[in-house]
Amino acid sequence: MTTALRSAASSGAPSAGSGGRPSAVTARDLARATATRQRRGARFKLWAGTVCTALVVLPVALARVLPLPGADAQDLSERRLPPLSDGHLFGTDQLGRDLLSRVLHGGQVSLTVGILAVLVSGVIGIAAGAAAGFFGGWADTVVSRLLEAQLALPLLMMLLLVVALFGPSVTVITCVIAVAQWPEVARLTRSLVLVEREKPYVAAARVLGLRGWSVLGRHVIPNVVRPASLVVLLLLAQAVLLESALSFLGAGPQRPFATWGRIISDGQDYITTSWWLVTLPGLVIALLVVGVNLIGDGLRDRTRTARLPRGVRAPRTSRGARAGKGV
Amino acid sequence: MPKYLARRLGQSLLTVFLTLTTVFLLVRLAPGDPAAAYAGPTATTADLARIRGEFGLDQPLIQQYGIFLRDLLTGNLGTSYSFRAPALDVVLDRMPYTITLAVAAIAVTAVVAVPLGVWMARRADSKRELGANVLTITGQSMPDFWTGVMLLTVFAVLLPVLPASGFTSWSGLVLPTVTVAILQLALISRLVRREMTTALNSPYITVARSRGFSERALTWRYALGNSGVPLITAIGTRFAALLNGVVVVEVVFGWPGVGSLVVRALETRDYPLIQATVLVTATLAILVQLLVDLAYPLLDPRVRLGKAA
Repeated sequence: MTTALRSAASSGAPSAGSGGRPSAVTARDLARATATRQRRGARFKLWAGTVCTALVVLPVALARVLPLPGADAQDLSERRLPPLSDGHLFGTDQLGRDLLSRVLHGGQVSLTVGILAVLVSGVIGIAAGAAAGFFGGWADTVVSRLLEAQLALPLLMMLLLVVALFGPSVTVITCVIAVAQWPEVARLTRSLVLVEREKPYVAAARVLGLRGWSVLGRHVIPNVVRPASLVVLLLLAQAVLLESALSFLGAGPQRPFATWGRIISDGQDYITTSWWLVTLPGLVIALLVVGVNLIGDGLRDRTRTARLPRGVRAPRTSRGARAGKGV
Repeated sequence: MPKYLARRLGQSLLTVFLTLTTVFLLVRLAPGDPAAAYAGPTATTADLARIRGEFGLDQPLIQQYGIFLRDLLTGNLGTSYSFRAPALDVVLDRMPYTITLAVAAIAVTAVVAVPLGVWMARRADSKRELGANVLTITGQSMPDFWTGVMLLTVFAVLLPVLPASGFTSWSGLVLPTVTVAILQLALISRLVRREMTTALNSPYITVARSRGFSERALTWRYALGNSGVPLITAIGTRFAALLNGVVVVEVVFGWPGVGSLVVRALETRDYPLIQATVLVTATLAILVQLLVDLAYPLLDPRVRLGKAA
């Protein structure tokens, strides 16, 4: 603001950047404005995120098409070859299997689990959060208590327990991760719906004779799905991490291929002699998760700068839900 | 206030009780026989039956639950199968290690993340802030077990300056602490940045600035002071989660805390030990949450506990 005034006083002439209209705002001011910088930051995050994600997702998706040795093809004469050796870009593991092929095939399982888990937790979270926020009363009590109870639970331990109970199949692990993640979506949806339900269109829909469920399903939820789905991307990153942690502890899916966490825990014993067995799969996970996190962050920044004028607070969950209501 | 406290404590008790019941049922539904795990592969059917009788596993489920509840009231959580010692004692022996790690990790996180967040808020949307932002996101995106193994390799194997595992001296605390802290940095620093940006743009800051308050006082005393409630909430929640066991990091570093105990108890189907761990960690986590809520009025006099805002 001050720079704009100062440069206006010094130049005093309309600038080219403002489309020919006389204005004190120069192109340089526009380029330095907070909004421009915020947009630039968001754009950078989106780009960098897309590149990182694509670097991992594309090869993983094309794993079957790429000219790679089979993920389970052992060749004991070619054990623990270093990266970049003949025909093995990532080297080979302790049983002579091609590491790149293992990482890509395992990645298919990891990614499938992550995406499915996020879809399931998104549906559960939006439904439960919306019902709690819209109907209030006992629905809100039940959902809020569940959310609180889950905060107190030793999460990873419960997950390990459930996996031990039902076996480490893809379905079970997907559900387990979804159950771990729904509170985040539910909490956000609830707070968004609390704001939304006070708006005039909801009252109008009621006056027109729509019942609660129809108002919620046809009018309120479509208006909160977009902001709520932004969290989902960030949850995808967490889901991939959680799955890899579970399989590191030996509770990950074993068929059809070992997933990333398992590959790392297998390679752990050879860390001093064969650094690539742990380093490279870990880098792949980190690259993917960084990418997804950056995209999610960039999208969130963009909607925030586009929708809310400066100084307007985004709806907050932690403070309002915990301190304000005196639960 | 006492009424509020009583209600909160009642709710907490109920949560712990329901959690324990869930765990009690889950472990017994799970496949895998504690007797078989205990006796080893050479055990005969008669051995297994004898061990089941000894552990009380030959009784109907409802009766086992009754005994469990009765013992719970007297503070007896049964004898751990694999340690042959009272389960509660085994867990309490391990607890100091987990608490040490959790306190160290959360302290390091706070000491780094709060100034970082403040700096990011003051340099909001500059290139350097973007760089710091991307860096913390990267830290948050690395799988903790991988970060741990990497740190171990570099600082304990390649450059043997720190001990690799276990807790023999205080230097053994460094690597696990750093591993856990890297993961928490992004969350806390971004929260501080968001709160501080809002606070620094508030009218009261403009007024104070126009009256000649120093920037330092504005930033650290007024803006940060007003960000106290969400900050303490976030740190408290993270701390409670850490107390529940930093399972993965403890396994990687061979840290003798409850996290690695849990993994072992699950492997050996040590029912009393699993139940004792859940009881202790859930109680601690809930106590921390309660303390956080009680701290609100100290940080923000406008908050009245137990009353609608």
